[in-house]
Formats: sequence, structure tokens, C-alpha cells
Amino acid sequence: MDFLNPVINGFAVVLEPTNLLYCLIGVVIGMLIGVLPGLGPAATIAILLPLTYNVEPVTAIIMLAGIFYGAQYGGTITSVLLRLPGEASSVVTVFDGYQMAKQGRAGTALGLASIGSFIGGTAAIIGLTFLAPIVASFALDFGPPEYTALAMLGILLVATISSGSKAKALIAAALGLLLATVGRDIFTGESRFTFGSLQLADGIDFVPIAMGIFGLGEILYNLEERHRAAKAPSKVANVWPSRQDLKQASGAIGRGSVLGFFLGILPGGGATIASMASYAMEKKRAKQPERFGKGAPEGVAGPETANNAAATSSFIPLLTLGIPANATMALMFGALLIQGVTPGPQLVEQNPELFWGVVNSMYIGNILLLIMSLPLVGIFVKILRVRAAILAPVTALITLLGAYTINNSMFDVTLVVVFGIIGYLMKKFGFEPGPLVLAFVLGELLESSVRRSLLMFGGDSVGFLGRPISATLLIIFVLVALLPVIRSVAAKRKSTGATAVTPEIKEKV
Amino acid sequence: MKHFPTRRTILGAASAVTLLALTACGNVAGGGTADAAKYPTGPINLSVGQAAGGSTDLIARALAEGAAKTLGQPMPVVNKPGANGALATKEVAGKPADGQELVLLNASLITITPLAVSADEAVNIDDLDIIAGLSQDDYVLVASLGSGFKTFKDVTGAGRAVTFGTTGVGTGSQLAQTVLFKQANVTGTDIPFDSGKPALTAVLGNQVELATIQLGEAMPQIEAGKVAPLLVFSEERNTFLPDTPTAKEAGYDVPVAQYRAVAAPKGTPQDVKDKLLAAFQDAFKSDAYKEFNKKNMLTPKEISGEEVVTEWKAYAAKYKELVEKYDISLSGNK
Repeated sequence: MDFLNPVINGFAVVLEPTNLLYCLIGVVIGMLIGVLPGLGPAATIAILLPLTYNVEPVTAIIMLAGIFYGAQYGGTITSVLLRLPGEASSVVTVFDGYQMAKQGRAGTALGLASIGSFIGGTAAIIGLTFLAPIVASFALDFGPPEYTALAMLGILLVATISSGSKAKALIAAALGLLLATVGRDIFTGESRFTFGSLQLADGIDFVPIAMGIFGLGEILYNLEERHRAAKAPSKVANVWPSRQDLKQASGAIGRGSVLGFFLGILPGGGATIASMASYAMEKKRAKQPERFGKGAPEGVAGPETANNAAATSSFIPLLTLGIPANATMALMFGALLIQGVTPGPQLVEQNPELFWGVVNSMYIGNILLLIMSLPLVGIFVKILRVRAAILAPVTALITLLGAYTINNSMFDVTLVVVFGIIGYLMKKFGFEPGPLVLAFVLGELLESSVRRSLLMFGGDSVGFLGRPISATLLIIFVLVALLPVIRSVAAKRKSTGATAVTPEIKEKV
Repeated sequence: MKHFPTRRTILGAASAVTLLALTACGNVAGGGTADAAKYPTGPINLSVGQAAGGSTDLIARALAEGAAKTLGQPMPVVNKPGANGALATKEVAGKPADGQELVLLNASLITITPLAVSADEAVNIDDLDIIAGLSQDDYVLVASLGSGFKTFKDVTGAGRAVTFGTTGVGTGSQLAQTVLFKQANVTGTDIPFDSGKPALTAVLGNQVELATIQLGEAMPQIEAGKVAPLLVFSEERNTFLPDTPTAKEAGYDVPVAQYRAVAAPKGTPQDVKDKLLAAFQDAFKSDAYKEFNKKNMLTPKEISGEEVVTEWKAYAAKYKELVEKYDISLSGNK
């Protein structure tokens, strides 16, 4: 059981008082900001990133991870109480969660969500503990050709799997790829799209883009959206679900844990697709599917469990391969780089305290989340009643201050404002910001990996197919790309529509 | 209770006077010599043109911690990454020459980057006053286990093309390796990575056979026996790697290393520069700083500002000559 030694040492790291404290701060702040309508995990991390600059890397990442799952839970609260999903992964929670709230069972919905989140999260951490070292052990076989294939697959999946219009998602992804080309060509030293500006010589920094699109963009959009939202109830009671509720939800929680874990590891996957898949699965399995959308407890418990499990397992590709599976992980990637930590194959081996410290902090964080969330519901309800006119400028100000402190640069602040406006317009016109941000991150990786691979192969692109991992990934890429064609052919033959998840969700949102 | 001026009012008045003095000082063209006795008047910003957490940043922090004690003022490190450090350096060069704004310089920005990028991105060392040289950071050529290379002779004798990684365009890693291979008639493909870490990962995973990386980054893997050190590019053997020959010993003329120095805007009064130098020398003497250098495999090169200018200019000329002689293009446009 030698391999468990670093795992146990990781617990020693977590149990240091400073780290425990920052884990607690992260979870609570994450929940508080996540509860503000519209501000989901990505926005919350973007806004709070500067808080972590002056602490040790392990502590910083523990806190950010805490903010991450804290905010994930906070987003649920607004879904249930206000019919306003904190982010895409809480969209399906609205269907039954808000109906339960209307029936006076908001407390039960929130209780089920936090118990499910805890179980899903914990199951995923156990999976992470055993799977991450295995992935890391063959990660060194990942050379430029494999990264090329993986980045291509990631961009394709995020664009095709997203919840809204596929065409719009592809446009957003293309814009992200375009933005990634700004800056000095790392192979020739030539400037591209910098317009002679030294500020743009290294390209656009990822953090201002994320802070603008996720942070400021969401704040602006919410100012508009909140007028249309429901009013928060003044009181929420009975957060402890009854025995019957638990019985009804337990199967959904179990299935959601497993489903979420596996969907979280996929590039382009993550919490959103996990929650939607879980909802579809529960509805399909249910004896009375017509209860769904009318306040079925499984409709809240399943997706909430799955999205937490997926959120946790999406740390696996990030920490072991250096590939962010989704936009939130892309932000986490930026945060690690700011701390001087490069996620990738060598992290587990060379920095075991950091790796296991962060992984194990999630156990503690999830327990804290469970303990804190139920009694704090009353406070969250009060926060929800604070006027947007007061909250929005405050959060916007914090975001801009934070943007300045990253590189002490007014240029970054300008970038945040520009991308904030872009983010607002994207939301307003139904473009999801996720594909843009992820394509931006993967775009840099994609371009440099393609060119490195071609150098390695002496310009012969057939080389990609000569390596087993890259060849496999490219075949999957082709299959995914052709899937709509295959589907339409199959549909024509059968002429009976399959039970697709997406159209149903589209009509409800 | 308000008979006497409180602590706060005294402090307030004092800072107001300082502010006035500062503005007055700013009006005297290029001057401020008269006020040098009062120097430093507030926190001294030490700008770093690289992101937090990298080796340049760590050096700045170790140095600032030591020097702030002697100067009696805090010395916050300000990270302003961009264009290999050109952004931060150009900005500090344009600040008032009062010793309140310093920058930590990488020699490669002056000596190598101009060979790879356009003229407007380059920095001229004459726009700055160099206060002190700091340390030398050596490059080592490492080979992957899969390549089978144990010495540089194995590479030259292999009689085939090799793949080699560098830490990027316009870096010492690229210059050293390219010049070495030209001199040794080794043919192969140069694959640039973003920095030392991905280049090292590529060697570990046998994606490339060779790479030139900074010693501090490569050392853990060298010690673990996962990569083989073939050559160091310093003029003398590196004390942390005494068994590895230098390129010079192997018969090649490639003296490349990363040097670092602290600089102030041009025209900083001599007595301010003296004060700063004294503070840095105090820092050099401290056990904490010595320990820091050791831990990061840095060789102290604590020389005067004049020596830095002479040496760096000589290296810049030398590199230019080497690149022209062997018809090398660092920007990849071969």
C-alpha cells in the first residue's frame, strides 16, 4: 500500500490550521457569491481570484477549490428559489426545484441538493484519488500529437454538447480560437494582431478574458435579467428532507454520482452535461415520468449530485494532463499558473503535497459545505433580497480592482471592461460564453501542438495516425463530428424520434 | 484629550511634507541630488518583467527581502509580465530617476532577444543605470533515456538527425543549442516549447531526444536519473554539476548563461546608487540569500554595475557574431 503514503501525507497538509481556515473561507465565500443570481462557479472564481495572490500555492488552490464547489452549491439556491440558474449546470434544477419551492418545499429541495452534492462530491473524490495517479502514470506518453488530438476533441465537444444553439456555440468557439492567435508567434518571434502594441506581444492574458466574460458580463446581464426573476421567499423551512423524500431520491443520488464522475473526465464535459444527462436518465427510469417538471425530488437530487461529482472529477484531466475539461477548469488552470504551478504530467510526482493536499481538501470542503449550507439557508435568502442596484456595482468594483492587481496593469482593466461588454452581448443574444473561453485556452495548446507535431514528423501529417493514442483520439473526433449526420440518417430510416435530451431542455428554459 | 498632536496627525503631517518634498524634487530637472541624503523616501518598487513564481520573480523577492532591511523601507516586488520583460523594463526606464523604481533585468533581454524580435521590442541597456549584478543561471544540455545518449560524443557520433527541444524563441536555451549543433555538425529539428517545464516533460516522455534547460529546473530529474546531463554552457564547470563537462572543454565556443542584475532609470544620482548598492551587498551577505542561491542552483555573480554593462555588451556582440558566422536565424525563418 505504498502508493497511499502520499495520500496520507496530503491529509497532513490539509489539516494545517491555515489550510483548514482557507478551505472554510473558500467554501463560505463561494456559497455567498454563488448565491448572487447569475454568478456561478466560473464567475465567482474569476472575481475572487485576486484574494489568493499572497498565500502559498497549496493554500491558494485549496481556497479556490472551496470557492468552486461552494459556488456550485450557491447556484442551486437561486435555481430553486428564484428560478434563476446560477450557471448552466443548475439549469435543470430549475425544472423541479422551483416547482417544489412553489409548493412550499424549497427547504426540502435545498436539503436534497446539498446531501446529493455531498455524496456525489465525496464519491468523485474517492474516484479521483485512485484514477488520477493512473492517468498521470501514462501522461508522459502524451506528446505534441496527443495534445493536438485532445485539444481538437475538447473544442469540438464543448461546442456540440453545450446546451444552447450549436451554431452559436461553434461561432463562440471560433472567436476564442481567433483571440488565441494574438501575440508573438512562439515559433518565429513575429508579432500577430498586436498592432504594434507591446502590451499585446505575449497575447491576451486569459484571466482578464475570463473575468470580463464570466464576471463583469454576468453582472451586467443580471442587472437586466433580475427584473424578470421571481421574488425570493422570505423564509425557507424544513431543510431536512423527510425519510420518504430521501428514499425517493437515494437511487437518483447513487446513479448521479457514477454518471457525473465519468462525464466530468471527458474533455468538453463537466458539470453541465452531467446534470442534464442525469435528469434525462431519472425521467426515463421513473415509473411516473409525468411527475417531472412538477416538483419531483429525484429531478433535483440526481442532477445536483451529478454536477458535483462531475465538477470534482474534471480536476483529473486538469491536474494530470494540464488540459482543462471545461471553462471553469480553464479558470482554475489560470489560477494555478499565477501561483507558479504548471498543471501537467509532472505535478503528481514532483509536487505531491500540492496535489494530494488539494485533493484531500475536497473531503473537508464537502463536509464543511454540508454542515454550513443547511443552517445558512436563511442568510442566503436575506442576501437574495438585497437590491441588485446595490450588489451589482459592488461586485463590479471588486472585479475591476482584482483585474488590476494581477499584473498591476490598467491595460488589463480595460480588457476586462471590453470583454465584459462582449460577455454581456453574448448572453443577451444567446451565445454561451463557455465555448469561447475554453477554445481560447485550448487554442493556444492546439496551435503550438500541431506545429510541434509537424516538426517532429518532418512535415508529414500522417504521423498523427502512427501513434496509438493520437490515432484513437482522432477517430473519436471524426465520429463525434459525424454524429449529427449518422443520427439524421438513422432517424430517416426509423422515422421515430429518439428521446433526445436537448430539445426538451431548450423548450423549457 | 486632544491637547497634544496625536500620533496620526504627526504621521499625516510628516507624509504631507514628504509628498511636498517629492513633488518639489520632481520639478528639478534630472536632479534630486540635494535630497539624496533623505533617500529612500518611501517604498521602493522592484519591478519584474516575468510572472510571479518563476525563477526571476523568486530572485527579486529574495533580494528585496534582504535589501529592505538595510534601507529601512519596504521593497515590494511588482510583477508586470510581457514581451520577455521588455514591458516592465521600458516602463521603469521612463520613471523619474530618484531610486524609488527599480527593475530586475534578465541578460537575455539585452543580449539574445534582439536577435529574434523586431527592433521596437528590444531594450537598450544604455537607457538604464545598472546598480549591481546578481547571479548566473546555467543552461544544461540533457538527453532522454530513450535516446541512449550518455555523452555529447554519442550525439556527434550518432550520424543521424536528432530532435531537440528549446525553451522558446530568442532564449539562451535556443541560442546555445543551435550554435553548438552548428559547430558540431549535428543536424536535427529544433522544436520550441513555451518554457523549461514543457521542454523537460517532452524529454522525460521521449518526445524529443535532447533539450537545453536551466539547471534549477532540470536538476531534480538529473538527480533522479531520468535525464542524462551532457554539457553545461558556462565557461567553467558548474559547482552543482561538477562531473558534467562544459561545452568549452568539449571543444566548442558557446558561452551562454542567464545573468541577472538590478537596474534603475538612467540618471539616478550617484549617492542614491551607492546606498542601493550597499543595501544589496548586505543582502548578498545574509545567510538567507546565500541559501536561496544554493537551493535554486544559482552561481553568485555579484559584480558592479559597470562590469555588468561591459560584460553584457560583450556577450551581445559575441552572440551576434556567432549567429552571423554560422548563418543562424533565431526567429525560425531559415
